[in-house]
Amino acid sequence: MNGTRLFQSAPAALVTAVALCLPFLAPDFMLFEFSIAVCYGIAILGLNLLLGFSGQICLAQGALFGIGAYATAILNVNFGMDPIATLPFAAIITSLIGVLIGLPALRLQGLQLAIVTFGVASAFPQLLLKMDWITGGVTGLATDQPLAPKWFPGSQELWLYGLSLICAAISVFMLRRLLRGDTGRLMRALRDNPLIAESLGVNLTKARLAAFAASSALAGLGGGLFCILNGFISPQSFLPMKSIDILIGGIVGGITSMAGAFIGAVFIVFVPGWTTDINPALGGLIYGLCLIAMMMVARQGIAGLPIGRSLQALGGIFNKKDLSRVPGPLPGQLGGE
Amino acid sequence: MVLFFQLLIDGLASGAIYASLALALVLIFRATRIVNFGQGEMATLSAYCAWQLCEWGLPVALSFLIVGAASFLLGVFVFRAVIKPVSKAPVETIVVITLGLFVFFQSLCLWLWRADQRAFPAMFPSGGWDILGVRVTASALCILLVLLCLAATMGAIFRFTRLGLAMRASAYSSEKSLLVGIRVERMLMLGWGFAATIGFIAAVLVGPRLFLSPTMMLPILLYALASATLGGWDSPLGALVGGLIVGVAESLGATFLPFIGADLRVVIPIAVTLVILLVRPVGLFGSSTVVKV
Amino acid sequence: MNILTVRDLCAGYGATDVLHKVSFTVEQGSIVALLGANGAGKTTILRALSGLLPSRGLVEFGGTDLRQCSPARRVELGLAQIPQGRGTFGDFTVEENLAIGAYTINSKRQIKEDMERWYTAFPRLAERRRQQSGNLSGGEQQMLALARALMSRPKLLMCDEPSLGLAPAITEQIFEIFKSLNHDHGMTLLVVEQNADLTLQFAHTAYVLEAGDITVSGPASDLLRNEAVQQSYLGV
Repeated sequence: MNGTRLFQSAPAALVTAVALCLPFLAPDFMLFEFSIAVCYGIAILGLNLLLGFSGQICLAQGALFGIGAYATAILNVNFGMDPIATLPFAAIITSLIGVLIGLPALRLQGLQLAIVTFGVASAFPQLLLKMDWITGGVTGLATDQPLAPKWFPGSQELWLYGLSLICAAISVFMLRRLLRGDTGRLMRALRDNPLIAESLGVNLTKARLAAFAASSALAGLGGGLFCILNGFISPQSFLPMKSIDILIGGIVGGITSMAGAFIGAVFIVFVPGWTTDINPALGGLIYGLCLIAMMMVARQGIAGLPIGRSLQALGGIFNKKDLSRVPGPLPGQLGGE
Repeated sequence: MVLFFQLLIDGLASGAIYASLALALVLIFRATRIVNFGQGEMATLSAYCAWQLCEWGLPVALSFLIVGAASFLLGVFVFRAVIKPVSKAPVETIVVITLGLFVFFQSLCLWLWRADQRAFPAMFPSGGWDILGVRVTASALCILLVLLCLAATMGAIFRFTRLGLAMRASAYSSEKSLLVGIRVERMLMLGWGFAATIGFIAAVLVGPRLFLSPTMMLPILLYALASATLGGWDSPLGALVGGLIVGVAESLGATFLPFIGADLRVVIPIAVTLVILLVRPVGLFGSSTVVKV
Repeated sequence: MNILTVRDLCAGYGATDVLHKVSFTVEQGSIVALLGANGAGKTTILRALSGLLPSRGLVEFGGTDLRQCSPARRVELGLAQIPQGRGTFGDFTVEENLAIGAYTINSKRQIKEDMERWYTAFPRLAERRRQQSGNLSGGEQQMLALARALMSRPKLLMCDEPSLGLAPAITEQIFEIFKSLNHDHGMTLLVVEQNADLTLQFAHTAYVLEAGDITVSGPASDLLRNEAVQQSYLGV
C-alpha cells in the first residue's frame, strides 16, 4: 500500500482504454454524460491532491468548481471570449481564489479546515445570488457552445467528449509532473507528519499553498468544462451538496489514485441517474453507505489483511493508499487523544 | 431603537435553535473528540419518528419519551457500528464517515417521509407579549429556558458526577482511563447515546418553528458549528452562549450591514468561525481546541 | 505467598513479539524490581499485565486468572499501574484526578477518607487541589499519579519508570514513599526501572530483562553484588 506510486499502471490503462473505446460503444446521449463525468473527474483529481497527497480535507471543492464554471460563463457572456479559450483563465482565476481560501488553512487543520470550508460551500450559492449583476442571479448564465468544426467527422457530442478527454489528459499530465517533482515530495512529507516535515526544513506554507493552488486550478478547469458542456449554469448547480458529491467521488474511486478519480466521477454521475427512477432517496442512501463503508473497508485494507488483498486483486480498482495512516486499535485501546 | 431590540429578541430566538444543536455537537466532542457532521440529520430522523407516532395517535408526551429513548439507542448503535471500528483513524477519515452519516440519514428521511413539509406538534404555548413595542413570543422564551437548564445540567454532570468525570477522562485518554478502571468503550457509547437524545430534544424544540422536512437541520448545522467554535468545543455553556451570539449577530448583521443583507446572512457564521479560529482557537469558554497537534 | 504469578508470558505489538515466554513471581508484601535497558520489554510487561496489550501465557493475580479479565476488571481486583509519563489527566484538577482514581470504589466515605489521607501525606497536592494538574511540576505530577493510583486501594502497585524526567533528589523522595508504603501499609510493589542502582537499594527481589527474556533474578542484595549486573546496569 505505497501511496507514492501514484499512477498504478493497471487501473490507469483500463480507464484510458475504456475512455477511448466509449465513442464506439455508447450512444451520443451517454457520451454527454461521460463528458460530464470527465469534468467532475478533473475536480476530483484536485480533491485527491489535497486530501490524498497533502492530507487536508476541503469541503469547498464544489464551490471552487462553481467558480471555474462562472469564470468561463462570465468571460464568454460579458467579454465575448471563445468558450474554449476561457478554460485556462477559469483555472487560473479559481486557483487564485483557492489560494485565498487556503491562506487561513495555513493555520487551520483537520476539523477546523473542514468546518470553515463547509461554510464556504454553504455560502457560495448565496454569494452568486447576491452578485447578480455579474452572475445573472437566479436565472443563471447561458454560454455559447463550441461547435464541432466542419472537418470533424463525428457528432457534436463526440467533439465535446474529445475536448473533455484532452482537458483530462492535460490535467493528469500536469498533476503527475507536480507530484513527481519537489513539490510533490513536500506535500507527501506534509501529509505523513507535518511536525517532522517542518522540523526538517520543509516549507509548510509553500507546500500547503501549492496544494491549494493546484487543487483549485483543477477544480476550476473542471468547472469551466462543465459550463461549456452544459451550456447553462445557475446557482442551483453549485449547492453545498455538490462539494460532498465530489468528496464521495474521490473516496469511492480512491483518493490517491488518478484513475480512481475518474472511476469515482462516473459513479457520482450515473448512480443518481439510475437510482432516482426507483426512489429519489436511493442515491443518497447509497452515497452515505459508500462513504462509511469505504472508510471502514479501506482501513481494513492496511497491508496484510485478506479483505485488502482481495480488493486489490479486483483489477486494482480499489488500489490506493487508505486514508488511515495509523494501525488499527489494539483490543482495549480505543478512542484516544 | 425598537427595531434594534426586536432584532435582538429575534436573534436570541434563532440563536436558541443554533445553540440546541451545538449542545449535541459539544456533548459528542466532549465525550469522544469527534465532530459529528451527521448530528443534525440524526436529530431529524428522531423528530420524524416522534411525528409519526403522534400521527398514529399516541399522546405527544408519550411519543416524545419513546423516541427520546430510541434516539439514545440510535446513537449507541451508530457508535458501535461505524465509529468504534475507526476510532484510531486520523481525523479526515472520521470527518468523511460523519459526512456519510449526514448523507445517509438525510436520504433515509427522504425515503420514508418524502420531501413535503409537515407541521410538528408544538410543546409550548403560542402566545407572546408586547413589551414597549417589542414582540417576545412565549415559545422562544420557553426554548431558551429549556436550553439553559439542559446546558447547566450537562455542565454539572461533566463537572460533578462520577459518570461525567469518567466520560471526560475517556475522551482525554483512553489508555489512562482504562488504567483507572473505566470501561472506556461504554463511556464513548454513552456519549453518543446522550448526544443523540440531546439532538432529538433540539429537534423537538425547533420543530414547530421550522416545520419538519428531511433537510430542516442542514442550514442549522453550519450555525451550530459556528456556535460551538465560538463558545469552545468542550463547554456546554459556551455552546449556548455561542449560539445566542451567532443568532444575534446574524439578525443584526443582516439588517444593519447593507453589503450583507438577507441574502448573505450565511456569511456571518462563517466569518465568526474564521475569526475565532484564527484569534482564539479554544473559543470563549473552551479549554481545548478542536484539533491538537 | 505470591500475589502475582506470570508464566510463559508472550506479548508484543502487531505481529512481532517483544516478550518471549517471560516468567516471574511477585511475593505478597514485597518490593520487586524489574530492570533492563531501553527496549528490553519492561513497559510491555506492565501493559500486558494491565490488559492494555493482548498477551499469551498464564497471569494469575491473587488467585484469579487475569486472562479473562478486562482492563477495568483488573483494576477492580486490585491491580494498579502508574504508567510512564505519569498517567494523570492534564485538564482535570488535582482533586478530580484523585476522584477518577477512585472510580472503582463505591463507598463515598472511603473515597473521602482516602483523599484526606493522601492530602495529608502529600501536602503539596492539598495546596493545589483546585489547580489543573497539567500545570504541576514533574515531581508533583508523579506524586499525584501515585496518589491517584492509591485511591483505587490496590493490592499490587505497578510503577513504570518513576524516576523518568525527575531530579535525583525527587526520585529518591519517591522511592522513600514506596518504601514507607511497603513498610507501613504492607503494599506490594512492582517497579520497572532503568536506574538499577537506586532501585536495588529499595527492592527485595529483582529481575533483569534483556531483549524480552529474564536473564538474571534473585534477591536485590545479591544482584547489587553480581558482577554481570554491575557491568551492564550499574556502570561500575
